[in-house]
Amino acid sequence: MKFLRKENLETFVEKMNRDSDIFYPEHNTNGSYSWARYEKGKTLSITGHRTVLPLKYFFFPPAENLKEKTGKPAIIFGARGCDVRGLQLLKKIYLDDPEDIYFRKDTLVFSADCTSCHQNCFCTVLGDEPWAEDDFDLNFSFARDGFLISAGGKKGNEILKNNSDLFEEASDSQKMEMLNARSKTKEYLRKQNEDKKINLKVCAEKAGENLDVFEKYAQTCVSCGACTNVCPACFCFFLAEGKENKIRYSDSCQYPGYARVAGGANPRRKMTPRFKHRILCKFLYRPAMQEIKGCTGCGRCISGCQGKINFRDVLLDIQAGEKR
Amino acid sequence: MTADIYKTMKANVEAVVDETPLIKTFVLKTEEAFSFQTGQFIQFTVPGEGEAPFTPSSSQFQKEYFETTIMKAGRVTGIIHSLKENDTVGIRGPLGKGYPLKEFESREILILGGGVGMAPLRSLLLTLLDEKDKYGRIVLLYGAKNPVDIVYSGQFAGWKKRGAEIYRSVDKCETDQWKEKIGVVTELFDEVKLNPSKGIAVVCGPPVMMKFGTFKLLEIGYKPENIYLSMEKNMSCGLGKCGHCALGKYFACKDGPVFKYSLIKDIGDIWD
Repeated sequence: MKFLRKENLETFVEKMNRDSDIFYPEHNTNGSYSWARYEKGKTLSITGHRTVLPLKYFFFPPAENLKEKTGKPAIIFGARGCDVRGLQLLKKIYLDDPEDIYFRKDTLVFSADCTSCHQNCFCTVLGDEPWAEDDFDLNFSFARDGFLISAGGKKGNEILKNNSDLFEEASDSQKMEMLNARSKTKEYLRKQNEDKKINLKVCAEKAGENLDVFEKYAQTCVSCGACTNVCPACFCFFLAEGKENKIRYSDSCQYPGYARVAGGANPRRKMTPRFKHRILCKFLYRPAMQEIKGCTGCGRCISGCQGKINFRDVLLDIQAGEKR
Repeated sequence: MTADIYKTMKANVEAVVDETPLIKTFVLKTEEAFSFQTGQFIQFTVPGEGEAPFTPSSSQFQKEYFETTIMKAGRVTGIIHSLKENDTVGIRGPLGKGYPLKEFESREILILGGGVGMAPLRSLLLTLLDEKDKYGRIVLLYGAKNPVDIVYSGQFAGWKKRGAEIYRSVDKCETDQWKEKIGVVTELFDEVKLNPSKGIAVVCGPPVMMKFGTFKLLEIGYKPENIYLSMEKNMSCGLGKCGHCALGKYFACKDGPVFKYSLIKDIGDIWD
């Protein structure tokens, strides 16, 4: 594990910015974080928690002409653990046989531990951590005087090697500071989710049954698709025929026409099966087929919901529910 | 560089055959070599306009060209129906998994079809007939709404000659022109002796027909693992990425479109 002094961050960022566009989580005045492009003179900060919009749109934009990629590759500096876990599922879908060449796999992910949490964050309730454990190129953790850096693969190791003048070996006391910082964030999360105890196995088993809970929540869902749009693990799209090339639009299983076939048949015409499908996709289907759950506990769906549905409560209700 | 999985290959419309007032068969010749296994599907692209999934309706051994039979049911199929001979279209595929013909060898094969659902079944039937000696009896039960809705109406006699046993029904017929069964397709089971405990059954048709057809097959003793269903879902990418054709945990485009009933019977909404 390497150590980068705070005062050397800017030099490192400047070096990386020569061949790549860098995006980082900018702190907004309302307390939220949004992705911003780094430019010389800006102060790049990687503290805080997840951004309003997920990491996924750097890998497949919401609307994209499927033609040759242009422009510099991007580095996402300060991606959170939840987003990186979402990306693991997206990679299985987009890059597993056959590989989708339009998925921007040249984008580098420099993740950073969460140092705070949003009120809707609940990754720890799902058994995950507020930092990335793998699938990053570099991960940045925090110590008093700088950052502890782990490389997550060949590209990350190369970056460390090529910039070795900026890095030192991390000391035991710096590692201890990192662990303390991580524990502190985890404790925030534990406290804000104190009353939420979720057993994913029980949830997944019960979610497959016909529960009243889906009907209850379907009554307040307005099918706006905000939950899927902001979800870091939702991958669905619609492939359209453009004038010169195919166009990919992000899509939502919560839209009424999503599963409709020619002639009008539609297995999920009604809201209840649509709402249920989304939950089952995340906790039953993707774990069964891609071996990764489709929820990362980022809580963006709660923040975005126009029907004020709290998906943590949906899971608790499923867990407590009886088979009809 | 890895290939673009969404790229279409050019195909020439060699001929357009009117099957019924709403159904046409398109004979297509691709620019590059193209082959498929019966039961697999293609994305048929009208450049700049749209694309939609269809199953070839010709034998997999027919290599010079292939056919696909399409019902006019929406915007894209409306555009496809306006295509003329020598128009250029696009093809993506073959996509998905076809019928596991190895498992069909030496066994009695019952083909149960309804309406335009006969299209993929015609491909299967012709493929089986091309290697008839490999299989046991080949029995086709086919139903349509009216005599005028029967697809491939001029071809059944030829299939019979090649060794298929064929029973047909129409739901209704206002004149006395129809000499065969009048009633829903499942009523044809009364007219044929089958070997359900050992046989294979393949079903394709409108959802309601597939539902009651499958229930009838189970009732007379077909095993769930010997019933194959062609699941029509909203395939968009056709490659297991876009999520549109989700059928429980499966993507119909990649894991299907042909599924053993035993694999999908516990999914709630398969008949809708």
